[in-house]
This record gives sequence, structure tokens and C-alpha cells, in this order.
Amino acid sequence: MIVEIEIDGKLINANTGEMVIAVTDREGISVPRFCYHKKLSISASCRMCLVDVEGAPKPQPACSTPVAEGMKIHTQNEKAIASQKAVMEFLLINHPLDCPICDQGGECELQDVAIEYGSDVSRFSEGKRIVAPSDIGPLIQTDMTRCIHCTRCVRFGSEIAGIMEMGATGRGEELKIEPFLAEGITSELSGNMIDVCPVGALTSKPFRYELRSWQMSSVENIARHDLVGSNLYAQTYKGNVKRVVSGDNDAVNETWISDRDRFSYEGLTHENRLLFPQIKVEGQWKEVEWDVALDFAIKGLNNNILNSRNLAKLGGLASNTATIEELHLMQKLLREMGCENIDHRLNVKDLNNTMHLKSTIKLIELESVDHALVIGANLRLEQPMINHRLRKAQLSGANITTLNVKDFDFNYKVDSHITSPNEIANTLAGVLKTLIDKTKQEFPEYLSDVIPSEHSVTLANNLLEANNSVLILGEHLINNAQASSISNLTAEIAKLTNSSTLNLTATANSLGAQQVNFMPNSQGMNANEMLDADMRAFILLDIYPEYDFHHSAAALNALSSDDVFVISLNSFGSELVSQYSDVMLPMAAMFETSGTHMNINGKAQSFRASVGAPGEAKPAWKILKVLADLLELPSFHYENSTQVMSEVAHQSIQTHEYDASIDLSKQTVTLETIWMHSPYQSDVLLRHAKSLNASQIGQMNTASMSVTTAQSLSLNNKDTYLGVPVEIDSIMADQCVFVNSNQATNAGGSQ
Amino acid sequence: MISDNAKKQIDSWIAKYPQGKQSSAVMEALKVVQAENNNQLNHDLIQAVADYLDMPGIAAAEVATFYENYNHKPVGKHIIRFCHNISCMLTGADDLISHLETKLGVKTGEVTKDGLISVKKVECLGACVGAPMFQIGDQYYENLTTDKVDEIVDGLK
Repeated sequence: MIVEIEIDGKLINANTGEMVIAVTDREGISVPRFCYHKKLSISASCRMCLVDVEGAPKPQPACSTPVAEGMKIHTQNEKAIASQKAVMEFLLINHPLDCPICDQGGECELQDVAIEYGSDVSRFSEGKRIVAPSDIGPLIQTDMTRCIHCTRCVRFGSEIAGIMEMGATGRGEELKIEPFLAEGITSELSGNMIDVCPVGALTSKPFRYELRSWQMSSVENIARHDLVGSNLYAQTYKGNVKRVVSGDNDAVNETWISDRDRFSYEGLTHENRLLFPQIKVEGQWKEVEWDVALDFAIKGLNNNILNSRNLAKLGGLASNTATIEELHLMQKLLREMGCENIDHRLNVKDLNNTMHLKSTIKLIELESVDHALVIGANLRLEQPMINHRLRKAQLSGANITTLNVKDFDFNYKVDSHITSPNEIANTLAGVLKTLIDKTKQEFPEYLSDVIPSEHSVTLANNLLEANNSVLILGEHLINNAQASSISNLTAEIAKLTNSSTLNLTATANSLGAQQVNFMPNSQGMNANEMLDADMRAFILLDIYPEYDFHHSAAALNALSSDDVFVISLNSFGSELVSQYSDVMLPMAAMFETSGTHMNINGKAQSFRASVGAPGEAKPAWKILKVLADLLELPSFHYENSTQVMSEVAHQSIQTHEYDASIDLSKQTVTLETIWMHSPYQSDVLLRHAKSLNASQIGQMNTASMSVTTAQSLSLNNKDTYLGVPVEIDSIMADQCVFVNSNQATNAGGSQ
Repeated sequence: MISDNAKKQIDSWIAKYPQGKQSSAVMEALKVVQAENNNQLNHDLIQAVADYLDMPGIAAAEVATFYENYNHKPVGKHIIRFCHNISCMLTGADDLISHLETKLGVKTGEVTKDGLISVKKVECLGACVGAPMFQIGDQYYENLTTDKVDEIVDGLK
């Protein structure tokens, strides 16, 4: 219902139930505030937003006063201003006058409001309160003497991050905002506390004492570490990214970003950056000019491939964190030369067995599902922003069921079904059979031997009871022996129950890669086949074999062979890359190149470069364009990456034929290793981000297994499995090991 | 961490609240656990209570540090909870507290050497009509004077 109210003499329409401050914010009327935040609950504790409401004996806080028909509000009259000034005086009693050494100076809400409402002389002559600082981890710096007790960080923890880590202990003058646990703050979304803190109590630790906010320019960018594509601002100074803060986009990341997106920029200035083109002459690396390096690359291609027209022996592999433009140019370059060996799916063990389920639900719609079945995903760490949406759904009553090997720590209530990787396809087949049974239709052949377990019946009933459910497939399933059956069964179940689906196995920019057809057609070889085909040359885009391939040893073998010529475009130097490459071309990393990222909803978000690349490094799309020119390929006349993208937009997407069959008899393995990189090791920039990797999540390194599995492998808690310390978990499925590691897979990796 | 006996008592408090609202029993649970631990709480005990009630540790800590009836340092057999809020302050509580401190040879927050008495300044106990006042155990002592304080304290065993 709409009501008419009057604010400062202006008639305004508002919705019933809305708070006064929401209306003034929308109308551009400024009301000072500290504790109010549009995405957090109302605490009305700071009293800074007091306004005068006609008829009310005392001034009312705008953040907790709902509008009503005919209400007359004054935000600027004598009564309002006097109350705001009085509140300001109280808030300043205990606030230190350390703005000159405070990192928040210049972007501080308290400072701004104090200029308007504060007095230049304090009437308070007693001693000020001092709070000892506490170390709450490598990401957030605390100076709690500056805290004004607005409790935004406390509410952020309990309402958004889903774990209440900060709290208000003591009372009166002794009140302190602090974490209870000695480990400090461990949430994967913790950096948002820095953004919500209105004063300098919580600031960015890596950014401490670096710069003033007005010295930097803010450039919009898109995070490419996951398949959400969070909007953010890179704040830059003299060509360096100095800090990242979140951007607003309700359809993507609301106003929050994960710590992964916030602190990855630290990797940009790591000493391992590849700065100059290098060529390998007689086994020795030599730094050279760009034209020398490119000529060397072309000569190598000519010798090994082009002169003998042996294009079947050329392969192109790219990291799935690359931009759409980079991927498009690379496949175009290869295809125009006549090469079809193109792939980005490096971490998949069996590419005939891939998951190709379509995602049919928008991120924002995840909030309103009433049931979700999560299969093979530890959402909090792997997809923090998607987990956040699902958490909202659960809090408003949705029933979330998980089918995982381990009882992962969800920050909301889930109904957890522990299932070994071998059993997932059968469990889903049982669900499908139960569903078909209820419709009294005939079973397809492959279900004839299936006897639905108790699990399956429960899962089927949950789906039937729900009106708006979603089936979510996670990354743990990528290398499941029955991956494609699982994917197809999920699609069938979704059809019968009218559920949406969400496929999280296409990580980072994989959807972008599919969009530009960065996969072999029927004549080409896929990534695994290439590694096994005695190739003569490779072009590699930002690949680090010890992390990127599911089985790094085999990949290294193939790349290191003597008669193979390897052109590597890399943003970071790496010992292994220099071992097998013949020429290394330094490329721009995230934040340093313009481009486009496609998120899980197929939303293509383009971004400009926030800073230039260091040293001689160039954006990869330019390197690929020049390579194409030198190879005398026509139609590479691009002046900027926008032209590349508009070509992509006009191009039809080639559809791939996928195996839609379901075969439950397929041989399963007796021991499956699910190898997940720690979330801060999932791409090369993250691996070089110091503070993230020093955090508790960054330090994760465990191989979890059940007591039975440990016994069968004769391992105990002090041993290691594939180089990773064993952790025996009492609530875990048998026949599998779940590795969450901050180490390279070259210690063994998934077999 | 929490004894079976304490759990039984906590359970009886949980039963008084609607299902799923077990964290409402936090005040009584902290009290029960404190009573079994020399009248004192610590970090681990607070966490244990929080775990038992399925609530975040910090949320239990907020309660445990807000109220004066939870002790975080060693206390004597008798705790004198001296009100120093407005009414008591205006009627001379501060002088009485200094008197008590001198008499016992301890500061507020400390325990006498024999472990018999500790003194704590607390906020309003709702007995302004008899200010200045303090509380020992469940007993309120009102309209205090130095003589009256001496008499009461000398009688503590």
C-alpha cells in the first residue's frame, strides 16, 4: 500500500512498512547514520539518525520509524539538528583524535558526519576509553579504540556470513566488540566487515598505512575466480592495484564479495610475475625483445608443424580463468591454421564422461526456492556467493538436503546424507525410480535393476513436496566414474519434478569458453587425448601443470618431451613452465586486461583494464592477435578487445553432441580420491596472494577419510596420503578420500 | 566439560522454553556450570555451554560478560556485590566501598587472603529505596553505614 508523507515540506509517496530512512535515502535527502545498513537488520543503537516527527514528543530514529499516512517529518529543523549534534557529542567522547594516522581517514563516516554535526571543542575533559588491539587474522586490522559500537560487523557475521564471530562483550563503558575464538575471524566473507565498518576500527590489513582513499582512483572490474563474476572496484595508484572493495549488483553479488575476490590483487605484485619475453636457446633462458620472441615462436611452429602441414600434432590448451576474448582469439588462430585440438577442460579425468547439465536458475531466484538438493559440493568454500543465496532461502524456510561424501560445514541447517562417490548415481537412479513409480509410468531399461534405498525415497519425497526446488551439482563430481550418468539422471529428475538445475562444475569462465567453442569438434582431440598423442607443438594460455591438470605427472611428461615445441603465455613464472617451454610470453593478469567473463547465468560482464601490466607483459588478446598477424592469417584486424567481443556476439554457438545415455553398470572404482584445491589456490593469481594464503582457509591441507578407509589403507592420523596429512573423520563415506589441499597436485594428484 | 548433574539441571531449564529456543536457557545454564566450578566461569566453560545449547560461543560470552553475577576471576566464599549506581552513589556508596576495601585489605575485584570474601562493584540491584546497599548471596543489606558494614562483614564465616 502506498502512503503519502511529508519530509521537509516535500510530499513523498512511500510503501507502508518502509522505514523513514529508506525513503529519505531514495529521495536523496541526507540523514546521518552509523548503525543502519540497508542489507542488515535494524539495531537503532547509534541514534545518529534522529529526526523530528510532528506529533511525537521526542525525536525518532529514522532507521526504525515506519512511515504512516500523513506523517510530517523534519530532518533539518532545530529539534532534529540539536538531537543529532547531541548524539555526535556523545559518540566523540570516547573516539580518539587519531584521524591523521587512521587508515579510514578520508573515507570515514564518522569523520564526515563530525564535520557537519560535531563541535570543534569537546566539553569532555575526563580520560578516554582505550581498548587493547586484538589480532583477528591476516586480513582485517583492528583498532578497537576507534569503535563506536554500531554492531554492523556483529550483525554482518550473524546475518550474512552465517557464523557469529564478532560480539559485544561487557557492558557500559566496558563494552567491547571482539571475537570469542583465539583463531580470530575465519569466515570466507570476512572482508565485508571492513566495508561495513563506518569508522577505522576494522580496516584492511594488507592495505595498512599504504595510501589515502583520495589518492586512488576506483575502477569497476569483475572478479574471475569463480562462476559468479562479482562486481567490484579496483582502487589503483600509480599503476598498481592497492585495494579492492565490493561493487553493488543485486543480480550478481548484492553488495558483498568473497575474501577470495577482495584480496587476490596482492598476487599482482608478487616477485614471481613473468615480466619479459624469454626464449630457450641451447637449454638456456634468454630475455629478449618482443619481436625476437615472437619470431622465435613462429619459427618453432614452422619447423615442427607448419612446414610439414602436420597440424594434427599441434595442440592449444587454455586455463578456464581466461577472458572470452582471449579464448576466442586463441581458438580462431588455431582453427584458421587448420588445427582442431583445442580444450580448456584440463581437470577432467574422462572427457567422454563430462557433466553438461544446463543451469536454469538465476542467482537471485536461488533465494526463493523452497527446497534444494546439493550434490557433491562444499558450497561455503567453493562458491561463497551462491552459498549466501541458498542460506537466505534456508533462513526463509527452505529445506536444503545435501548428498556429500563428508558432513561439510554449512552455515545453515542442512539435512545431510553422507554418500560415497560410488553410490551417488545409484541413489539418484533410486530417486528417479521412486518418482516414476508414483506416476505409474513404465521404467526405462536402465532402472530395471534399481532398488530405491531409504535415502532415495526420502530425497524423492522431498522433491515432490516442494513447489520450487533446485538440483545443484558440485565440483566434487567432475571426476566421478559415473559423472555423465549423474548429470543425465539429474536432468531427468528435474524434468519430472519441475525443478531448476544449477551446474557448478563449469568453474571460473568455463561457460565463456563454451560460448566461443573452446573445445575440439569431432575431428579434434580433447585435452587428455592431446597429452597422449605424441604432439609436436603446443600453445598454452596461462597454464601451470602442477595445479591445473587432474593428473599433473602425465601432463608434464607430454609437455617435456624433447621434440615438442611449447609456446607458453603466462602471467607468472613457474619452474615447471620454464622446464618444458621453448618460449615464454608474459601476459597481463586479472585487473590488467580488458575482457569479458560469463557467469553461471550466461551473463557476459565486460570490464576494462584497471592497471597496466608490469614489465613487458601484454594483454593476451594482443599477443594472440600479433601471433596471428605474423602467421599471416587474415581477419585479425582488431584495435581493441571490444571488437573481439562484438565478433563473438555475432557468432553462432556450435552445439555439442553429448552422451545422454545412463549406464549404471559402468565400472566404479573401489577408492575414489576427490582432490579439491583450497579455495585460495584455485588459480594462479590466488596462489600468489600472500595474506589469503596465510589465513585459516588458505592453510587448509587435509586428506579426510573414514575409519574404515584409513584401516584399509593402513593409515592413521599422523600419516600422509598423496603428500597431504591424513584426517580421520567419523562422519564420512567409505571408499573415498576427500582432499582439500593448498599443495600442488604433483605430489600425486587424483589418479 | 559439563557434568551429568549439570546437564540434567540445564535440560530442565531448556524444557521450559519452546522447542528450538534452547538458547534461551543460557543464563541459567551459565549459572549451573559456574556453581560447579568454584563459582567461576572461563573461556572453555562458556564455549561448552554454547555448544550444549547449539549457539555461537560469542553469543554466550556476550551474556556471561554482561551480567555481574558471572565471575571470570577467582572469588571468595562470600561475594559482596556493592551497588554503585546512581541512588547508591548519591547516598555515599563510594565512601563505603573505600571503607570496605581498607577494612578487608583488598581492592574491588580481589579476594581476601583467606579466600573468604571478595568485593565486586555492581550496577543497580533495584533496591534504591534502601540505598546504599549491597548483596551477599541471596540476601540484600540496605541503608548501610560504616558501622553496619563492619557488623555484617565481621559476621561472615
